[in-house]
Amino acid sequence: MDVNFLLEVESRSQALEELDYFEVLRVPTAAAAAEIKAAYYRESRLFHPDRFAALDTAELKDRIGRIYRRVNEAYTVLRDDVKRARYLADVSGPDRARKLRFTEAEESQVKQEQKQKLEEVLGQTPNGRKFYAAALKDAEAGRWEPAERAVKSALMYEPGNARFKELLDRIEKSKPRLDPFKIR
Amino acid sequence: MSDDIAVGIDLGTSYSCVAAVLDGKPQVLPNEWGEHTHASVVSFLDGASVLVGNNAKKNIITNAENTVYSAKRLIGRFYFSDEVKKAQAVMPYRILEGPNNGVRIGVGDKVFAVPEISALVLKEMKAIAETALGREVRKAVVTCPAYFNDNQRQATKDAGRIAGLEVLRIINEPTAAALAYGFGKDISQRICVYDLGGGTFDVSILEIGKDVFEVLATAGDTYLGGDDFDDRIMAWLADDFLKAHGLDLRQNRFCLQALKEAGEQAKIEVGRDGVADILVPGICRSPEGVVLDLKQRLAGEQFNRMVMDLVQRTFKVCDEALQSAHFTAADIDAVILVGGPTRLPIIRQSVRHYFQREPLTDVDPDQVVALGASIQAAALLDRGAAEAGQASYLLDVTPLSLRVATVGGYTEKIIAKNTPIPIEKAKTFTTSRDGQDKVRIRVVQGESNRVEECELLGEFEFSGFRVSTRGDVSIEVTFEIDPNGIVNVSAMDLETKKRATTSINLSSGLTEQDILRARDTNAGMELAVRPAGA
Repeated sequence: MDVNFLLEVESRSQALEELDYFEVLRVPTAAAAAEIKAAYYRESRLFHPDRFAALDTAELKDRIGRIYRRVNEAYTVLRDDVKRARYLADVSGPDRARKLRFTEAEESQVKQEQKQKLEEVLGQTPNGRKFYAAALKDAEAGRWEPAERAVKSALMYEPGNARFKELLDRIEKSKPRLDPFKIR
Repeated sequence: MSDDIAVGIDLGTSYSCVAAVLDGKPQVLPNEWGEHTHASVVSFLDGASVLVGNNAKKNIITNAENTVYSAKRLIGRFYFSDEVKKAQAVMPYRILEGPNNGVRIGVGDKVFAVPEISALVLKEMKAIAETALGREVRKAVVTCPAYFNDNQRQATKDAGRIAGLEVLRIINEPTAAALAYGFGKDISQRICVYDLGGGTFDVSILEIGKDVFEVLATAGDTYLGGDDFDDRIMAWLADDFLKAHGLDLRQNRFCLQALKEAGEQAKIEVGRDGVADILVPGICRSPEGVVLDLKQRLAGEQFNRMVMDLVQRTFKVCDEALQSAHFTAADIDAVILVGGPTRLPIIRQSVRHYFQREPLTDVDPDQVVALGASIQAAALLDRGAAEAGQASYLLDVTPLSLRVATVGGYTEKIIAKNTPIPIEKAKTFTTSRDGQDKVRIRVVQGESNRVEECELLGEFEFSGFRVSTRGDVSIEVTFEIDPNGIVNVSAMDLETKKRATTSINLSSGLTEQDILRARDTNAGMELAVRPAGA
């Protein structure tokens, strides 16, 4: 087989993780829809695994497979105007390296993230969460001393938790001896 | 060109067909009697021989308990599914529950998995091809409905292996039909394939750009086919007979089969001649001992009214496919009809009305799928393609969204339907307990975000990664859909980059040992040439 083609397959499959979808399809970022489709057909004619199905070279087939799966992935995103706009913003931004592969922001995923964030806020260990919850309850009711004890206990489990520290800070500031005449 | 050969097999619900490319031209291979399509019916005779094909079809009545038909309706299904329950009510053969909610078919004292039955049909196709070509055939491309899920595709592939075939590829029936239509024509068109088979309905929208066949969208209904049209006629005949004689023909297995055959025959006749005269002499005997005949006349108008809602359902699926492709019916340049039932005038008229254009008539709806499969089979054997490029490129899609089950009975979409394949997507999971040494992921297919409304593909269990505190271990799970539309799942510890061990639970499919054992059983069964005693 053509040596240049084999070299191209090798270099492309190795560089795959650094390429954005426009580079995978070899189109400019401003390409029109028709151009995207033409590029997809061009890359399919080059890298479609069926072309190499009869060969016995497993390594080549493996590389072709990886390239072609990425071609399909790129096309799926770039043929969709909404996804494409979001993707372009992603790879033009500072997070480019992390966002080369498009992920669907599904509703359930967003919810999951929110839940995770909430979990981080409320603590990552069961005991940390328990004490933090108790501290919050006490602080809200103005029982500062038990609140302080509880949040300090929570911090024992999660010394790095910023939200816990924030609460301790607030409790220390709000303690009655700092402001004994405050009428609640 | 290599001297190797591969055939294309259309493994249908009611009929199967085999084709090969000879001297660059795809051709259907007939059997010794010159028949081009063969009933997908397997009749077990005494001893270790089986009769497959049109001759076996006669045995549906005479050897009902040992004759299996429409096995494709059951392939890759769970025992508790509606389709299996429905089949149990109408099929004369025994449908049993197998391990892991699988389906088994009991014949005499033997039990077969559904792919084993399909394997016997494939074995017959292989034998027909070998006789026609005068040489051994070991490789094949087998087709399946575009809307088949992973379980059904996997089971179809297993059937091929059990039959001793190397299945080069599972391709979608409408895609194969499009390939047979557009191959070598150098056209640029948007086409719609309307594929109404014996048991399934598929619609695919394709864009053909010379040598590239891009599937833009596919939609379907695996519970809708020509059999349902027969059922309507059967129900009408039986109700009428009940009114006239006070006897329900559906209560008796023999009468039911005679009724079914009368229904199918009437459908074909009414489609061809506009009217069908149904006569089954001596279908049953009244309690007084009088032999009764089943005699009825079915007019075209009456038949059309009977099946109107079924026809309507196909166009709902067409709407869905067009919408996914961002097209309207007016954007379509050509409509290809596939499957025997599309010969019915009611279907042709409705298709003409829906697309506002005449469907193509120069393709044979019974053979076009096998022809397309043979073109793809030849392409996959062509060693020269790596250098010179292929004559055609099939760019197909996955018909169903791939999802994973999450907490509370919900699912999360991983790969959307109508995504081109092959494709892969990775997702990272973290451990949720200290010292966790296993991660379980339930993979499903379907369009609902509720797990119970989707089809379960299996539960994957990953182990062999680092054991640490919760949240510390990240497992990257890669979901891949291969060119057959079959799902592969693998996992890797993100930090150590070590692959995790994967095992599948809760799958209705056959294990490797099952397949090898079934292959030996299959090899030991002899294909009968003609019915015993005939």
